[in-house]
Amino acid sequence: MRKAAIAAVLLLGSTTLVTGCHKLTKMVGGETAVNNTAYPERVYWGDTHLHTSNSVDAFGFGNRLGPEEALRFASGEEVTSSTGIKAKLARPLDFLVVSDHAEGLGSTKALYDAPRFMISDPTLLRWFDLMHEGTKGSLQATAEMLDARAHGKLPAGLNDPTKGAARTHKIWNESLATVDSYNQPGKFTAFFGFEYTLMQGGNNLHRNVIFRDGIDRVSQVDPIDPSSELWPDKLWDYMDAYQAKTGGKVLAIPHNSNLSNGLMFMLTDPNGGPITAEYARRRAAHEPVVEITQIKGDSEAHPFLSPNDEFAGYGTAGWDMNNLLNTQPTKPGDYAGSYVREALKRGLLIEQRTGVNPYKFGVIGSTDAHTSLSTADDNNFFGKHAGVEPSAHRATDTFVPGMPVEKVGRMNWQSLASGYAAVWATSNTREAIFDAMMRHEVYGTTGPRMTVRFFGGWDFNAGDLKTDWVKAGYQRGVPMGGTLAPHGPSTPGKGAPSFIVSALKDPVDGNLDRVQVVKGWVDQAGNAHEKVFDVVWSAMDQRKAVGGKVPAVGDTVDVTKATYANTIGAPELSTVWSDPEFNPGQRAFYYVRVLMIPTPTWVDYDMVKYGLKLDPAITLKQQERAYTSAIWYNPV
Amino acid sequence: MTRALLREPLVHFLIAGAMVFWLLSGRAPDLGERRIVVDKVVVGAMVERFYGSFHRLPTPDETDGMIRDYVADQVYYREALRLGLDKDDEVVIRRMRRKLESVAVADAESAEPSDNALQVLIDKDPARYSEDPRTSFEQIYLGADTPETRARANTELADLRTGKPVPSVPAPLPAKLDGAPASDISGLFGDEFTLALKDQPTGQWQGPIASGLGLHLVKISARAAPIKPSLTTVRQRVTNDWRAAAIARAQADAYKTMLGRYDVKIELPK
Repeated sequence: MRKAAIAAVLLLGSTTLVTGCHKLTKMVGGETAVNNTAYPERVYWGDTHLHTSNSVDAFGFGNRLGPEEALRFASGEEVTSSTGIKAKLARPLDFLVVSDHAEGLGSTKALYDAPRFMISDPTLLRWFDLMHEGTKGSLQATAEMLDARAHGKLPAGLNDPTKGAARTHKIWNESLATVDSYNQPGKFTAFFGFEYTLMQGGNNLHRNVIFRDGIDRVSQVDPIDPSSELWPDKLWDYMDAYQAKTGGKVLAIPHNSNLSNGLMFMLTDPNGGPITAEYARRRAAHEPVVEITQIKGDSEAHPFLSPNDEFAGYGTAGWDMNNLLNTQPTKPGDYAGSYVREALKRGLLIEQRTGVNPYKFGVIGSTDAHTSLSTADDNNFFGKHAGVEPSAHRATDTFVPGMPVEKVGRMNWQSLASGYAAVWATSNTREAIFDAMMRHEVYGTTGPRMTVRFFGGWDFNAGDLKTDWVKAGYQRGVPMGGTLAPHGPSTPGKGAPSFIVSALKDPVDGNLDRVQVVKGWVDQAGNAHEKVFDVVWSAMDQRKAVGGKVPAVGDTVDVTKATYANTIGAPELSTVWSDPEFNPGQRAFYYVRVLMIPTPTWVDYDMVKYGLKLDPAITLKQQERAYTSAIWYNPV
Repeated sequence: MTRALLREPLVHFLIAGAMVFWLLSGRAPDLGERRIVVDKVVVGAMVERFYGSFHRLPTPDETDGMIRDYVADQVYYREALRLGLDKDDEVVIRRMRRKLESVAVADAESAEPSDNALQVLIDKDPARYSEDPRTSFEQIYLGADTPETRARANTELADLRTGKPVPSVPAPLPAKLDGAPASDISGLFGDEFTLALKDQPTGQWQGPIASGLGLHLVKISARAAPIKPSLTTVRQRVTNDWRAAAIARAQADAYKTMLGRYDVKIELPK
C-alpha cells in the first residue's frame, strides 16, 4: 500500500538554514511522487482527534458511522449522519487521525450486536435493552456506562481482558486497513492512531497516540488501554517498545487539560516529589504537542489565573466547575495544572531547577467529535456526539440529553464548534506532518482557517516585511515551536529578541481584530509571570491604546439573523515586534494569539434556523482565535 | 462491523433461517415445525463458544447443561413466536432490521471490483478523478477591498506593466505559485479568486482580482489542463467510491424489493 517514498527533508530544528526553495523529488514504483519543499511553504489543516462508532461511548451515544465514513467526510465527500442528516464540509481537511478509544474498542457495538440470551450480567442486559430502545435509551445507557467507568464499576463482561484483547486486535486491524485505503500522499493524509483514555476517578488525563508510519509497522502492535494505571508512564513504555520493535515513530497529544482538575500539568511528579530531569525529558520527548482547544472547552487560559487578560475566558464556562465525569468539583487551586499558558510557565520553572522543560510542547486544536464528522465551523456544526446532532432542542439540552445537568455537569450550548490543527509541513504526508508536530511547528484555531506565521530572531526589523520575509524568518531566526539561539556577545542586533508576526484571515470567515504576543517568564526570585502584548490590530489610527488597553474592535453581529459584516477588522495583520521588557537573564516564552472580530456561535445559527427563544445567559457571539506554539528563550 | 457479525455462528444460524424461509421465498417461517434437532453442528458451536470464554473444554455435565439450555431457548423462542410476542417488541424489531440490513450489504462489502467496473466509474465522471487543473502565477496582495485600494490598484497595475516593482502588503501568502492545483488556490484565496483566475490572459499583469482576503494583481505564466485520470493512479480512490456506492445501492435495492411486497397506507387524521 505504501507507494510513496518521501524524500527526507533537512530541517534541523532551530538552526535551519535555507538555501532556496528547490523541490526534492523521489519517484518510487513510478506511481506516486510527493514533493517536499525545502521549508514549509503552506499550512495543512486537519483533525487529530476523531471518534467513530468503534469508540465505546460514541456508539452508545448513537453513532453508527465507522472509520470509512469519517475519512470520506474529512476528505470532502458527503455522508449521511447517524441521525439521517446529509453532511458535507464546506472545505475538505488535509489530514485526519481516527483516534478511537483503545479501551473497550468496539465493545459497545459488540454488546449491541450480541445475541441477547448470551448476556448474563444484569447491568449489561439493561444497557443492551436500553440501546435497542432507540436514541433516548442509548444516551441513558451511555451515561450509565460513563458513570460506572468513573466509579470503577464496569461489568467484567464489558472489560473481559482476553475477549477484549481479541476483539481489539480484530477491530484495530480492520480499522487500519480502512484508514490505509484513504491515505493519498500529497493530497490527503490518513494517520493511524488511537486514544489512550487515562483517567483518575473522572479526572481527564487522556492522550491521543499518533503513528508516523505505514501499515507494515503499525499493524505489528495493538493499541493499549490504561486499565488501572494512574499516570502516563505505561503509555510511554508502550511507545518506546513500538519504536524499538519496528523502527517507527509515535507521539502522544494530551487533551482536555481543562477537565483534569489540575493533574495534567503538575509541578511535581506523581508521588508529590520534585520532577526530575529524566522525567521531564521523557515527557517532552513523548508528548511534543498538546491539544489546546476542542468541543469540550478551551484550555488556553482561565480568568482566575490571568485576571489581567480580558480575553482569557473563552470557552471555559461550564467546563471549569467539575472534572470530566463530574465526579469531583474543580477547586481554585486546581486551575494552574489545567491550563496551557500556566503549563508553559511551569515548564520554565522546572527547567530553571532541572535544566529540562517537561512542558516544551506545541499546540493544536481538534474536535474530539464522537459523530465521525469532523466539524468545527459554527454554521455547519454536528456537535460532540450523535445525541446532539442538529435539532431544534440541542441548544437547550444538557450535554447528555435526557440526563439532568447536575449529573453531566454542563449544558450542550457550552460546547464549542472547535477546533482544527494547523501544521506547517513540507508536504501533505504522514512523515512530513508528523515531523512538523515533533518540532512544534504547528498551531491551533477554534475552527476558522487563519494563516499565521511567527518567527523569532535577534535582528528582525520592519524592513524585513518588505522583502521575502518567510525566507528571512527561516534563515535568520526560528519558526514557531523553536528556541532562540543563545544570546551571547556575538549575537547581532541590539539585545532584545524581535519577532516577525503575520496573520491572514480565513478567506471565507471573519476579519481579524488583533494579534497579541503572550509572554511568560521567570524572575530572579524564581516566580513565573505572564503578560499579553497587543502588537498589531486593525484601524490602529483610530483605536489608540488607552492605559495599555486597545479599545474593542466593535461588533457587527445581528443575532436575530446570525450574520456579521467584515466592515470592521482587517484581512491581514503583520508586524515586527521586539520585546520592550526583555531581560537577558530571564527564561521566557512567547506565543501568538490572533483574535477574530465577533461572529455568531453555532447556538445562534441554531436559534435562527429553528426559530428558538433562548435564555439570555446563552452565548450567541464570540471572538474566535488562533494560538501558535511558543518560541522559547533560554539565558546562556 | 458487519463482517464481524457475520462470523458469529449463531448469526449464521439466524440469518440462514431468515434468508431461506423469508427473504427468498417471501413466506413466513413454518411455526408448525415442532422438531428440535441437537446435532454435531449445534453442539460444536456451543463448545466453541464455551472455549472462547473459559479457555478449556466443557465437562460432560456442562455440555448437558448447555444442551438443556439450548432446547429450552428453542422451545420458548418458538412458543413466543407462535403467541406473537415479538410483534410489538421494539428490541426484536430493531434487531431483526439490523440483521437483515447487514445481510443485504455483506456481498457488497467483501466484493472486489473488476478493472472494467472501475474504468466505467472513471469514464462516468473523469473530472472527479482527474488531477485539478494547475496554474502557475505571481500575485501581489494589495490588502482589503476598499475604494482606495481599487484606485491604487490601477496605478500599480500600470507600474507593473512598465516594469516598475510594486510592493505586496505583508501577509503569509506565497508571492509565486508553481503549478498550484485549483483546490490549493481555493484553500488560500477562496473559490471566487480561483474562478476569476480562469478568465485572465497569461503573460501580463492583470487585476485587481478580488479574493476572500482583499484585492490582488496577478500574472499568470502557465496553465496546465487537468491530467486525464488513469486507473493505475486513482485505483484506490475509485475502489473506495465503488465500494461505498455498492453498499449504498445494495442497501437501497434490498429495501426497495422488500417494500414492494407491502401495501403501505399512511392514514393521518385530518
